[in-house]
Amino acid sequence: MMGRVSAVALNTFRESIRDKVLVTLIIFAVFVMGSARVIQPLALGEEAKIIKDVGLSAITLFSVLIAVLIGGRIVYREVEKRTIYIILARPVRRWEFILGKYLGLMAVLVVSLVVMTAAFIAILFILGVAPQLYLLLAVLATFFELVVLTAVAVLFSTFSTPITGAVFTFAVYFVGHLSRDLKLLAAMSPSPIVKAMSYVFYYVLPNLGNFNIRPEVVYGAPLDPYALLLSGLYALVYAATLLLISATIFNRREF
Amino acid sequence: MSSFPEPVIGVTRLSKVYRSGLRMKRVQALNDVTLEVERGEIFGFLGPNGAGKTTLIKVLMGLSEPTSGTALVLGRPPRDARVKARLGFLPESPYFYDHLTAREFLELAARLSGVPKSEAVGRVTGLLRLLRTERAADVQMRGFSRGMLQRTGIAQALVADPELVVLDEPMGGLDPIGRKEFRDIIVDLRDRGKTVFFSTHILSDVEMICDRVGIVIAGRMVEVGRLSEILTGDVESVEITVRGVTGKTQKILERVSQHSIKSGDELLLTVKNEEDVEKVMAICREVGGIRVVGIAPHRRTLEDYFMEHVAKAGRPS
Repeated sequence: MMGRVSAVALNTFRESIRDKVLVTLIIFAVFVMGSARVIQPLALGEEAKIIKDVGLSAITLFSVLIAVLIGGRIVYREVEKRTIYIILARPVRRWEFILGKYLGLMAVLVVSLVVMTAAFIAILFILGVAPQLYLLLAVLATFFELVVLTAVAVLFSTFSTPITGAVFTFAVYFVGHLSRDLKLLAAMSPSPIVKAMSYVFYYVLPNLGNFNIRPEVVYGAPLDPYALLLSGLYALVYAATLLLISATIFNRREF
Repeated sequence: MSSFPEPVIGVTRLSKVYRSGLRMKRVQALNDVTLEVERGEIFGFLGPNGAGKTTLIKVLMGLSEPTSGTALVLGRPPRDARVKARLGFLPESPYFYDHLTAREFLELAARLSGVPKSEAVGRVTGLLRLLRTERAADVQMRGFSRGMLQRTGIAQALVADPELVVLDEPMGGLDPIGRKEFRDIIVDLRDRGKTVFFSTHILSDVEMICDRVGIVIAGRMVEVGRLSEILTGDVESVEITVRGVTGKTQKILERVSQHSIKSGDELLLTVKNEEDVEKVMAICREVGGIRVVGIAPHRRTLEDYFMEHVAKAGRPS
């Protein structure tokens, strides 16, 4: 079983890593990190923090873009190009295929995170800012966020087109970051419909705010290590649930 | 293996209905199809475009579920993993991963089919040689021509040395040399005891290599049988070429024939059977001065048969 899952994952990894979209996005990310230098005159002595903030934000933004743009078409493309026929005519169970696609894309994201983080540290050195190890915690939190978001992208990819899938995944991303506000809205709204809707969204959509620890890391606010560990567990459970739903949908599909 | 009791493919009263478009229009792709394919035969699945060939193949591959009726492959339901480990499949106009090389792709195919790693490399190299794709083995497939893709597709179908090979329009995109090579591969598979099921609308391929054929038109199976049974070998008509015919004799001869063509000194007559040939000969002897320069019996071809059925199906009932 794991042999087949890893074969699908390796194939997904190879296909994606050779894709121009990935290389372009990573180059862009590095460019954005370096551009933090430009705003230095405005920084009023806070330049080190701004450079760190811009760098970490770029890593998050661009890895999210990779997850959404490549993830949003990851299953769809196999159906559209009919490569799925060749895979599913073999003794591969459909859930193995979904899991393999997901793990392959996660491997691509890990490589992208490593490359972007390495570039970020190099830029810090070049700009004369001492890099601290705990900056990596923010990257780890981003990785947890990608565990969830990639599962969202794969889910949409099993039944919708890449554009619709990308739009929906982005929507989940933005609303997921507004999760705390949704709860507030639910509590304060006088309209029962708005109240109900807000609660549904609050409970169904992932709470992605948990994964943003940049303010703590960059500005030196206290960071709870248990909270980070808990977000990691939350990400795993959430992603596993979404993959289960994806596999169920995919299992019923006809080609 | 030869003691396998049930047919390799068994389809019983199978129908498939699609709903398509916004208005969910009902499309009957297959209608009450029954079919058996036996071990060790080359079965040609014939039909015009849109007849339902690919739909049936998708059901057999477990990619699509029948609306009613049953399909068994190697004695089990098509989605059973034990079935899939023993079959090879080439889809119509196959398309593979742009950024993989042919070798990487075939190794993936081997792994997914459960070929042990130690065997996979040798198997892949052998197939690349057999299909003369060695030169392009380490090139990414996005630059491949249709013919190269088709060859790679055949290689992936054979990589696990399957008992049953299902090929959807395998001759598509191949040049005449490629078609010849491919026919040899199919015949060789049968000689090694494998079963080959392939769909096509190219009749010459079928006539050359198939043991049995099934003809599907507009979703219905109109005939299943040995080619020799379908094409009984009866003479359909006879063409007689004569020289030195005068106007009056021509009229008499034309009365005996189905139709005639006058070209220069020669008159080409088409008659129905041997009896009519005798009549023409008798007239020629009686009149004198007429030379019979050619007699050619015209047997029924698969193409004639095919056209007849298509015409029948196309006619409103």
